[in-house]
Amino acid sequence: MTGRQSIHPDAPAVIEARDLKTQFQGRTGIFSALAGVKPPSARALDGVDLRIREREIVGLVGESGCGKSTLGMTLVRMYQPTAGQILYRDEDITKAEGRRLKAYRHSAQIIFQDPYSSLNPRLTIGQVIEEPLIIHGIGNAAERREKVIRALELVRIPAGENIDRYPSDLSGGQRQRVAIARALVLEPKFIVADEPVSMLDVSIQASVLELLDELSRDLGLAVLYISHDIATVGYICNHVAVMYLGRIVEEGRAEDILTRPLHPYTQRLMDAIPRMTPGDSPDRIELRGDVPSPMAVPPGCRFSSRCPFATALCEAIEPALSDQTDGQRVRCHIYDDRASRAHPSLLAPKAGHITEVAEAGTLAEAVEGGRW
Amino acid sequence: MVAVAPPRSGHRPASPATLAELERLTDRLSRKPAAHLQVESLSIGYSTLRGRFHAVEDISFEVPAGTNLGLVGESGCGKSTVVKTLMGLQPESTEVSGRALLDGRNILGLDENALRDFRWKRISLITQSAMNSLDPVYCIGDQISEAILAHEPVSKATAWARAEQMFALVGLPAGRLYEFPHMFSGGMRQRAVIAMALALNAGLLLADEPTTALDPIMQSQIMTRIRGIHAHMRCSMILVTHDIAVVAETCENIVVMYAGKVAESGPTADVLERPLHPYTMGLKNAFPRLPIRGEPRQPLISIPGVVPNLLLPPPGCRFASRCPFATEVCHSVTPPVVQVGVQRAACHHTDRAAEFRLAAARPDTWRNMRGAA
Repeated sequence: MTGRQSIHPDAPAVIEARDLKTQFQGRTGIFSALAGVKPPSARALDGVDLRIREREIVGLVGESGCGKSTLGMTLVRMYQPTAGQILYRDEDITKAEGRRLKAYRHSAQIIFQDPYSSLNPRLTIGQVIEEPLIIHGIGNAAERREKVIRALELVRIPAGENIDRYPSDLSGGQRQRVAIARALVLEPKFIVADEPVSMLDVSIQASVLELLDELSRDLGLAVLYISHDIATVGYICNHVAVMYLGRIVEEGRAEDILTRPLHPYTQRLMDAIPRMTPGDSPDRIELRGDVPSPMAVPPGCRFSSRCPFATALCEAIEPALSDQTDGQRVRCHIYDDRASRAHPSLLAPKAGHITEVAEAGTLAEAVEGGRW
Repeated sequence: MVAVAPPRSGHRPASPATLAELERLTDRLSRKPAAHLQVESLSIGYSTLRGRFHAVEDISFEVPAGTNLGLVGESGCGKSTVVKTLMGLQPESTEVSGRALLDGRNILGLDENALRDFRWKRISLITQSAMNSLDPVYCIGDQISEAILAHEPVSKATAWARAEQMFALVGLPAGRLYEFPHMFSGGMRQRAVIAMALALNAGLLLADEPTTALDPIMQSQIMTRIRGIHAHMRCSMILVTHDIAVVAETCENIVVMYAGKVAESGPTADVLERPLHPYTMGLKNAFPRLPIRGEPRQPLISIPGVVPNLLLPPPGCRFASRCPFATEVCHSVTPPVVQVGVQRAACHHTDRAAEFRLAAARPDTWRNMRGAA
């Protein structure tokens, strides 16, 4: 497993999100409610466009709270989107209910981060994997058992000795394989893998990633691979999208995003990864503060409150996604002069031109001042 | 939305007397030497209903004064157990043998009073879960100054001023000392815990997965701070982590643990460049790396199999069942610790390490092994 090439851009999409928004309504106290104050809502997902094709693995990266998992869960309709569209093979399933929703869930499955809590400890491995088949009313007991065995074979767990064991008898890596088998048993076309290896030891992560890679090729699966570990994304993804505060800020071919990031946020995200070569760490710019709350999204560019290059233009106008070379797209005024031409009075940002590094000085000052 | 205003109004400049006392405290603390730690054949076991659990067996390592040591290994390899035992935080049923000499004095098996004498003064701990190591009902400033007051004969105001210094060091505004842990984000809480661990300039800092629960950006910012602070305070540090890349960036020396034993140790650059133990080779190849543009990339290889059950540790080398190079002797005889140049490895076949390294970089080596197991 060394990395993947791009899928042909004209290949038909299995799943597509169009301007997808998911908001969570906040709660308010009784007095505010009586006064008619509307509670604020958290804009977890705020206008996301994404398409995943057959045999394609799209990596979704970003800090916690940026909306990665919300996007994954909205795409499989665990959350009801507030606005926008979800298309499954060109069929709009945004508002599907009842039988249609169940049919969609037959083809779209999700794998969760924690294989210790996502498997029912009281069910055997066989029962865990059989459950989706029962829910969808597929086959009789013998046929179902055959399907369970096939699913276990796909994830390389010897069925004979493991089918009647309990999750507690298995190691973390094996449990995650069982979770994958449960997702595969319905023969879905689209899988959301939400941090599938982040709870596993490094020594076995590769085998689970390899499995996802092979399954996507062999079964023609479209996979959304959600992770905050950017390095793993490079091994299995064709395409990578970087999210910040509910929006995609950059996307493109995996290799381009990892080796030639354009957005200041993506650049900082890449710099943050520790290098294996001892003593060779990049000069890292310290970002100011934390990710803003999705309940109070700043006007203008969402990253402007922490961006070292931000100017008046960034704080006032939100950049649109602009096309760069090789299909790379980035949401930043540095690479797109449309907004600066429309608003010439506002100072536009320039690449590499640091406007303010608020916190970086703190440590140096403290050290120089001898304040120990 | 009704928000409770944080009680930050109490912030006022320190009096001249406080400042003078703070000056003396800072001066005293900054002259504390870095600690030297020598761990000799440390074994830690737990008595369970099913027998003795050998969490750590016969490990030895040294942290020279002013250096960083990275303690790496998979979950359950005993790395956190070592740290807890050094702090004297192990459960009562624990059986500990061996010695841990802190500046020449054995700190294992001390009573509460003796423990209090060096905890936080000579050894301090940055825990993995910052939320659980802060008391939710006291404001952060009270918690940091309490630690200072417990060990230094200074006034409350001086202790608070010291806490303000520490907050500046970790990049938090002094006003937030009045806030409670729940008002902090995960990264800020971790920084507050670091501030607390640094407050008395203990000679040895134990950092147990300080950034594991955090985002990559926050992780790199916190590690940068720890490195910067370490460089200026010249204390010693043990960094416990599963992330060998963080160790590569931070620590001069590395100890690789596997199933309660030391697999390999030595200077980080040498160990990662030319590993002697097949487990270190496997760990290195399993670690995801960023691609370099235009360069072919090493494949990501996982190590097949699982860690042995430490209630019934296998005879011989504990890694043998997962090792693609294991021979008969590996399954029956405990490997000796072999010194090769500056590195030490517990392996029967260190003389063939160069050959193993080439083979270990090929996915087939490990995959064929999977079929055999």
